[in-house]
Amino acid sequence: MSAQRTFAVTLTIPDNEAFTVYETLGRLGIDVARVVRADIWVFDVDPGAGDLAARIASIETIHNPNKHRLTERSSDGPAAGEVWIAARVEAPATLVAGRPIPGVQAIRRRTAWRLLDDQGADIPAAELSRAVDAFLCNPAFQVAITA
Amino acid sequence: MTRPRVAILVFPGTNSEDETLRAVQAVGLDGELVHWSVPERLARFDAFILPGGFAYEDRVRSGAVAAHDALIDPVIEAALAGKFVLGICNGAQILAEAGLVPGTGPLRRPSAAFAPNASGRFQSLHVHVKLVVAPERVPILAGIEPGAVIPAWASHGDGRLAAPSDELARIERDGHRAFIYCDRDGNPVAAPNGSALDCAALVNRAGNVLAIMPHPERDAWTFNHLDASRDAARGDTQAMLAPSGGIRLFEHFARALRGGVPA
Repeated sequence: MSAQRTFAVTLTIPDNEAFTVYETLGRLGIDVARVVRADIWVFDVDPGAGDLAARIASIETIHNPNKHRLTERSSDGPAAGEVWIAARVEAPATLVAGRPIPGVQAIRRRTAWRLLDDQGADIPAAELSRAVDAFLCNPAFQVAITA
Repeated sequence: MTRPRVAILVFPGTNSEDETLRAVQAVGLDGELVHWSVPERLARFDAFILPGGFAYEDRVRSGAVAAHDALIDPVIEAALAGKFVLGICNGAQILAEAGLVPGTGPLRRPSAAFAPNASGRFQSLHVHVKLVVAPERVPILAGIEPGAVIPAWASHGDGRLAAPSDELARIERDGHRAFIYCDRDGNPVAAPNGSALDCAALVNRAGNVLAIMPHPERDAWTFNHLDASRDAARGDTQAMLAPSGGIRLFEHFARALRGGVPA
């Protein structure tokens, strides 16, 4: 029996990948003012795994305190306005950089995207869907998950 | 006679342009590097090669950003007009993301991908690939013999052909799988990256666009070939600098550009 816990890792320094997405979406005629990206890590953990956040932070492989913020999500799915890109066929990992994390049975990774307008609000769902179809997701091997 | 002009595209993060240029020049073509900032220069070329590397750091997905770059617009136009386009490794990923291979769907709406290796790791291995379609199916490699075996270096993290099952069936049925992985004698082997159909290269319907994951240009000379011939050449500069098996792919490419006439 395992529980699922979900963490988001975001950059506290400028995100070049998000900027590249912003530029490319502009080229595709999809008007956004800001792109926000997060690495999502979904862990299957043993009950009573303890302070997983502290353990993840301490190994400094998926989270570098000099440039990342680590946040535990209350839900194991995307927030409203967010899209997660995941592999269509997943092979959950058990190691991070070749090392197990005590209490963690399986690890899945997604990329979360949030596209904002010039008021800081999420762009309309139809526009997000257009961005997903045109660029963010390759349906040949990926799926897009929305709330 | 004017030598055919081949543009070798360079994106930020491309890293195999020099060895590709050397291979192109060695087979008598007029190769030239064209950087991403000057897409208008592509109009004067007869053919295009997208070399290996990590275009735009492989941000979002391998090849995804480059496939939407302005530098690709004239390449797509040229491919649709029948000009030859060769993508190697990252270049193959870009062609898949651009929808030019297998070319069964709309442009820039990929129906297949070179996805992360099954191992989840970057792999660098000396391999051989074998032509598994009729030579007539790949006019981009004019004069290539049936079942040709070419040595190359597979050096990628994302080289696994992936597509929905119906698309994979179409790829196989319609001859879009141009090369598979094999041993040096041409016997099929399991793709080291877990590629569907053991596929090492895709070709479009017209046969003028080829996307190959392993690098033939990195096995174009004896000094970077991995077998006894290299050991035998040690101490003999001429032998060490002699062309190796990978150059054959470029020889057939050059022959295609000369209208089927060998060098």
